[in-house]
Amino acid sequence: MNLIREIWQSIVRRDPLSTDKGKSELVFLNVWLHIHPAKVKKENMKFRHTFYLGFITFFLFLILLTTGIALMVYYRPYPAQAYQDMKDLQFAVFMGTFLRNMHRWAAHGMVICVFLHMCRVFYTGSYKKPRQFNWVIGVLLLLLTLSLSFTGYLLPWDQLAYWAITVGTNIGSYAPLIGGQLRELLLGGHSVGEGALIRFYVLHVAVLPAAMILLTIVHFWRVRKDGGLSRPVWKLKGKKEELVVIGAPAVAVPMQASATSKDKTYGLMEVVSGKPIFETVTPEEEEDTVFSYPYAFVREAVVLMATVTTIMTMSLFLNAPLEELANPAKTPNPAKAPWYFLGLQELVSHSAFLGGVVAPALMVLALLAIPYLDRNPSRRPGDRKLILWLFTIFVVANLALIIVGTFFRGPGWALVPPWVHVVGGAE
Amino acid sequence: MERRLQQLFFALSLLALALILAAAWQANTPSWKTYQRNFLQLEAQEEPNAITKAAVLATPPEIHQVLLPGLQRVDRCTTCHLGVEDPTMKNAPEPFRYHENLGPHIPSKFGCTICHGGQGLATDKESAHGKVDFWPNPLLSKDYIRASCGRCHKEGEVPGVPELTAGHRLFETQGCRGCHKLDGVGGSIGPDLTGEGANRRAPEWLEAHFLAPNAVSAGSAMPNFHFTKDQARDLTYYMLSLTNEEMGSYFSSLRLIPSPEYGRQLFVEKNCISCHAVGGVGAKTAPDLLGVTKRHSIEWLDEQLVNPELVYPGSAMPEYDLETNARKALVAYMSSATPEDAQAVLSRRARAMTTEEIAIEAGKQNFSRFGCVGCHGTELQGGVANPNAQGGEVPSLLHVSDDYTKDEVIAIIRNGRVPPLDNTAGPTPPLYMPSWKNVLSDEDINRIADYLWSKQQKAKDAW
Repeated sequence: MNLIREIWQSIVRRDPLSTDKGKSELVFLNVWLHIHPAKVKKENMKFRHTFYLGFITFFLFLILLTTGIALMVYYRPYPAQAYQDMKDLQFAVFMGTFLRNMHRWAAHGMVICVFLHMCRVFYTGSYKKPRQFNWVIGVLLLLLTLSLSFTGYLLPWDQLAYWAITVGTNIGSYAPLIGGQLRELLLGGHSVGEGALIRFYVLHVAVLPAAMILLTIVHFWRVRKDGGLSRPVWKLKGKKEELVVIGAPAVAVPMQASATSKDKTYGLMEVVSGKPIFETVTPEEEEDTVFSYPYAFVREAVVLMATVTTIMTMSLFLNAPLEELANPAKTPNPAKAPWYFLGLQELVSHSAFLGGVVAPALMVLALLAIPYLDRNPSRRPGDRKLILWLFTIFVVANLALIIVGTFFRGPGWALVPPWVHVVGGAE
Repeated sequence: MERRLQQLFFALSLLALALILAAAWQANTPSWKTYQRNFLQLEAQEEPNAITKAAVLATPPEIHQVLLPGLQRVDRCTTCHLGVEDPTMKNAPEPFRYHENLGPHIPSKFGCTICHGGQGLATDKESAHGKVDFWPNPLLSKDYIRASCGRCHKEGEVPGVPELTAGHRLFETQGCRGCHKLDGVGGSIGPDLTGEGANRRAPEWLEAHFLAPNAVSAGSAMPNFHFTKDQARDLTYYMLSLTNEEMGSYFSSLRLIPSPEYGRQLFVEKNCISCHAVGGVGAKTAPDLLGVTKRHSIEWLDEQLVNPELVYPGSAMPEYDLETNARKALVAYMSSATPEDAQAVLSRRARAMTTEEIAIEAGKQNFSRFGCVGCHGTELQGGVANPNAQGGEVPSLLHVSDDYTKDEVIAIIRNGRVPPLDNTAGPTPPLYMPSWKNVLSDEDINRIADYLWSKQQKAKDAW
């Protein structure tokens, strides 16, 4: 029994969880949990403040990683084989359909959630000082999510994949000067072929996930360092506007080792001068804080399981699409990009250069620059009417374009309402 | 609230577990397993004793598949159609019934989809029969199935399918190529018809289209040729037989079919022209093969290929160890061989072989047929490990003429030899040269020696 206890104690070094010390140590003695603070403000964890969209996005990413690795076992990135492997997943691999469905629906879910998360952060003004840079990281993560989804779209090598990527990469080629070369670099040729498949595969399973993981770590780290989860401070009664000071105050007071304790060894944190960059807990807020264990963890666990069960339920009843084997000689009419790029395709159908290059470039630049362009320090919605309206127009316009592109465009990109059945043209 | 959340977490975890189990159950109960169970019961009925009955019923379920790598096809049809090759299943209910009249086209070698269409990779009925979205080749109905013969049998008449020949003739005589391309030749007004059979438009559609193009394809530029119903069917057959897949050449490369093409390959490979002639073209050492199939019965020719000396005692023709299909293919080629073709075969060779070369060739055949290559190597290189023999391995024969005369070598082959030991106190080496005198005739042994000496010359040149 002693040995068992010894083994247990070598793994778990904290005090029992019944004590406050144990609850704290659970968090900061654990490499995975210590991204959390030991104590959280109750107010921060309220569902309606964040809708846990960042968590959901992260959990979807975890589902994608695990199912993706399992799928790699069955997948060969070579045209005819790739398609055959999809069929094998469907017909011969145990739970193969379920696996592929989970990956597919989690991927779509992640694109949606990462976008909703961005909207939430914008509407609550959470990109403002000191969180400007984390917003930039977030925009990069959004772009990475789209790239991951786009590269994954090609891998089944069916007609849907082939033509969506053909159309998608054509949009990219409208960029002046480098557009053509950029497309060729991405495709490893002039058209989507086996070269493109292996490049997309490498991007999808190695390069982009690695970048995603690295930036996600930075993103989470900055959430902690920039003051924890952002909450609608203006709503809190009797609380002053949240202001977090970063870096040294204007007049830096050099830190001195206290003369009274000569033999004390100092940690680095005691040498850094100035206020801490993370949010401090003022005495009046103290009563609002609780230990992360179990308060925050149980909430996160509920959201995790809700995410997993939702994706599983969808995967049980809805099958991921798989069309015919890719056929470069047989263009579907209309050939459509993946749904999240259909807004772009809709713009391109009006003007290739403006819609395919200028608009998306401006969109990305504007998103990246928002925290530095918006000089208004207030996060109260009443003070931010203009910018909220602008952002709402941006969101609605994007959605409208995607909806038009997805449901209202028929053969020859003609405007056809979805309830009108179009008989395929004579072949 | 906290308690509620914890309960919610456990409830959701249970739900997740239930969902995984549901997915596993769904994956574990595919319809093909039911079919296999039913088939086993059918088989078990025939078994008289209880033990074998139980053994049959205990056969674990598994997916059966026929791989056709050259065609990028995998046919899993036999996962459910379990009795296609079993004649005792003649009267069994579908999907277990025996497939009659297949001739050489056994499903385990040819698969099913090359004739029937459908989705070979699929393992449920609907998908496998191809009657689902996004699968362009549904099962071909019984009325049109014979059209598939033309997918491999492209040249000449296919016995039992006059429609194909008639359809082909109509295509070439009615000016179809004016508008349609086929294999790169033809106009471009209508669609390219190369691979039209792979598109597998419904045959009914094709037939109606030939009778009245505009009736099924509004605005079609194709004029109405006023084909009769029979002609429309012939053309439909021909269309269904058109495919991009090189099925014929794939299956002949597998050498499953005793086709004249395969026979010609063998004719070239085995260098028959170095002794034989066709209509005077070729060597004069052995009988002329022109019309040989008329002079002798097929059985006689087959016998001759198996054992030349049995038919012609003292025949110089080597035994080539040809399998049944190969012999049939050679006979098929001989029945169609022409002096022109013999000339073509010859022109790849600089000259006919001399008698000496024939002996060497026969020696080479013997050397490989009697297993000498097993130790001495296909290139006489030796090198097979033989512990405690001098040098530790079976010697190379490339320099044998440096140490022995031809007669000494013949004596070694006749009487065998234990290799000299490396260490006289050590164990006997596992490999030794056996005595061949009771196995090989003196002539065979002489030919092997000739072959060895022919290689010596080359080895010295190389030195």
